Amino acid sequence: MNRVIKVARMQLINKWTFLGIPMAILLGSTLLTFAIWAMLPPGAREGTLYSGSGQAVMWYFLALGIQSLTYTFPFSQAMSVSRRTFYLGTLGLFAAIAMAYSILYYLLGLVEKATGGWGFNGQLFALDWIAGNHPVIQVLFYFVAMVLLFMIGFWGATVYLRWKATGLLVAGIGVAALLLGVLAAVGLNDAWPQVGAWFAAMQVLGLSIVLGLVCVALAGGSYLTLRRATT
Amino acid sequence: MRHPSEPAIEVRNLKKSFRDVTALDGVTLALEPDRIYGLLGRNGAGKTTLMSILTGQGFPSSGEVLIHGTDPYENDGTLARICFIRESQKYPEDFTPAQAFKAAALFFAHWDQELADGLVADFALPLTRRIKKLSRGQLSAVGVIIGMASRAEITVFDEPYLGLDAVARQIFYDRLVEDFARHPRTIVLSSHLIDEIANLLEHVVVIDKGRILLDEDADSLRGSAVAVTGNREAVEGFIGGYRVLHRDALGSLASVTIQGRLGQTQRSMAAELGLELSPVPLQQLVVRTTMAAQAETPLENHQEALK
Repeated sequence: MNRVIKVARMQLINKWTFLGIPMAILLGSTLLTFAIWAMLPPGAREGTLYSGSGQAVMWYFLALGIQSLTYTFPFSQAMSVSRRTFYLGTLGLFAAIAMAYSILYYLLGLVEKATGGWGFNGQLFALDWIAGNHPVIQVLFYFVAMVLLFMIGFWGATVYLRWKATGLLVAGIGVAALLLGVLAAVGLNDAWPQVGAWFAAMQVLGLSIVLGLVCVALAGGSYLTLRRATT
Repeated sequence: MRHPSEPAIEVRNLKKSFRDVTALDGVTLALEPDRIYGLLGRNGAGKTTLMSILTGQGFPSSGEVLIHGTDPYENDGTLARICFIRESQKYPEDFTPAQAFKAAALFFAHWDQELADGLVADFALPLTRRIKKLSRGQLSAVGVIIGMASRAEITVFDEPYLGLDAVARQIFYDRLVEDFARHPRTIVLSSHLIDEIANLLEHVVVIDKGRILLDEDADSLRGSAVAVTGNREAVEGFIGGYRVLHRDALGSLASVTIQGRLGQTQRSMAAELGLELSPVPLQQLVVRTTMAAQAETPLENHQEALK
């Protein structure tokens, strides 16, 4: 257990990667959004202003998933860390960071509402369809979304580590074929209305659970891939 | 804790094949604790594969590895006693040497910062430069410093000297011997520069095409072969019955390396015949043994290759 925490500490030796960059992205993207809102001519400022800049950090987590494996795994082998311990330490650290950001997003959403959308009547964090939910569900949704992006990056990196470009190619084509198969099955059965209704009925909680299951699948796949990977 | 008779590293019938290559073909070894082992062999002989499997970084196709009695693969308790720095060791892209040492200090219980600091000064290593910006020699120095300062019970170096100049290599050898004297541990060193490390080694293992050719105490190995030089016919007469490792001929002169220990009688006989007996350096011995093993039939075909 102790060594799992040491892996997390090793990932944090360079504070910039896990802590500095995400915070810089969050601050930078938010301030840029405010600047853009402030520059809008009065005519364009009527009604609510929406921005997707809250996603910016989440996309960095995709890159972080790749980096945390490719940069650090071969070194962790030289540090005589088992693959399992590396996996637990790295994922555990990211889960803690994702949880902190999820709570921060929720709190920023509260501030957004309290300040009348940052004084611009804007929506950046407290997007309507999320902010209407129970706080726990909001935090859960952010958390699952962040972990999902991280896991996609991490899983892709384990596949590359073990099977190189061929592996990524096969996995990429496989996922694409699977999606296409699902689309074809829906289309051939004329099931689009039902699918649409299913998505419409699925609330934030339902979506979180579905995405959470994808995270679990990716986490399991990553572990099994990493277990037999060599540097 | 430690049983005196228990080997530090035990390898039983280890096999490893990659797609179409057999890297290890039935390797069995027992390395005793607190000695310095040399793992010697040509490029592609299986040295790195063997070292990564016995340190738990790789895994065999079949066979067994025991480090102080336990399998190191995915076993943190055992891994914590091992330090293996690869020849092409990768470091986190944005790390500086100082940060790499900080990480090593986290994981290796016997880490000695003072020793590390001394080596940094010896190698004139820039501590705060990004590792990816270091020269090949400086990169090797980072690995050497981690390997030595970790003071792991089992320390494995895979050709640690790449890019190091002659002075830096000598510093490495000297510091290694000094520190080994104060803190004995099991050290496995793979190298091409056999003569450079010959004095360090207490035991020599030679591997070729995934098989162990030689597994012998360095001292007894040094006396195990002799080069006989003199008149060709006299030489031929003298070496009858010994295993010939190598032949050189020039006109009526011949020089033949034979495997075997010569007693006093044979030495005086050689003197009477006007033959010169000379010791064979470790590097020659390894080269001759490897080449002799590669030739199933008489050695004449390979004489050219030896020159």
